Amino acid sequence: MKNYLIITKKHYIMKTLFLTAILAMTMVSCNNKAKETETNATEGTESTSQLFACPMHPEVTGKKGEKCSKCGMELTEPVAQGQPAHDSTHDDAAQPTADETAANATSAFSTDEIIANYLKIKNALTKDDANGAATAGKELYKTFNSADASGLTAAQKKEYTDIAGDAKEHAEHIGDNAGKIAHQREHFAILSKDINDLIKLLGSNKKLYQDHCPMYDDGKGAIWISETKEIKNPYYGSQMLTCGSVKKTL
Amino acid sequence: MKRKLKKVGIALFLVLIAIQFYQPALNQNLGQDYTNDFLITTNAPSNISKLIKTSCYDCHSNNTEYLWYDYVQPARMFVESHIKEGKEELNFNEFGSYSNRKQQSKLEAISKQIKSGEMPLSSYTILHHNAVLNETQKQEIITWINSINESNSLSED
Repeated sequence: MKNYLIITKKHYIMKTLFLTAILAMTMVSCNNKAKETETNATEGTESTSQLFACPMHPEVTGKKGEKCSKCGMELTEPVAQGQPAHDSTHDDAAQPTADETAANATSAFSTDEIIANYLKIKNALTKDDANGAATAGKELYKTFNSADASGLTAAQKKEYTDIAGDAKEHAEHIGDNAGKIAHQREHFAILSKDINDLIKLLGSNKKLYQDHCPMYDDGKGAIWISETKEIKNPYYGSQMLTCGSVKKTL
Repeated sequence: MKRKLKKVGIALFLVLIAIQFYQPALNQNLGQDYTNDFLITTNAPSNISKLIKTSCYDCHSNNTEYLWYDYVQPARMFVESHIKEGKEELNFNEFGSYSNRKQQSKLEAISKQIKSGEMPLSSYTILHHNAVLNETQKQEIITWINSINESNSLSED
């Protein structure tokens, strides 16, 4: 009888512990099990009368779902209505806004390190290298943290703080998501806007190009900054490495 | 061997009891002002407002609606660390105080996270079934978020 009691008691304790352990484990594993869904660029919400162009050959147009006669890709780029097809340049960024690059060489602040680390992320993404992007993301995060903005004018400083605050978060996320390249690319798209604005604000010592990928984010498009004129798409990597175009020189 | 096992078992059980006494501060701030609250500053329609409050506000605001097991350790620590992380990333109660750039970037991130199903976290919805967003609800939120984001968008050049 006594023995029996000990056994049931032990069972009870073991059962409690076992259940707690299971509970803890499910919680941890659920947390890690974030799904990775590749953004699908071929979806669209436009009406059927809408014309679409090939992402690589803007002069080829047709209905949604048709294939490009030159390369066989699906026509996914919405063409603005009432506009001749061959004029569709996807983006207002194509218009010359040359003198906006007020790269003031007098600025005491150097953007070199920030840009260098950004380009490292970009280059890793063009190679579909999520780990390399993560490492570079961490470096960029550190660079922002140690950057000294005291040499900037009050107006510059305010804008810089906004840009850096946002860019830093994206760098951190890219650094923390080594296994999830689709998620890294989402952050990279917004980071690229920040870096673009940073260069507009404070200039760069390097010759840089603003490139545009028309397909990313369901055809909303996204920009990136590159040090080479040759297109290497960081949003699709090997899937579509040469898709995109140079919008302007920074 | 059996006695050893029993001792270990009892020790662990005691630890389990002991950690129940560790109860970090609750994420509750009932008297706060909502002037910077996301749903108020954006004038969100009531259906959207309800969805976002149910599915997001437990971890992304200054007020969590706790359930009984949230008070039981070690769940308590797990929940509290999630809330802390969630609020750091995005606090809807303070959204209005974010810079314009940050607001836009957050809006973009919100719509992507909802679309990919990454948020609300599956570890949260497993016990909070009412927080699960179905496809229609997802689309409703995303459409609305995109519409407010477009109205104050930064130019791309």
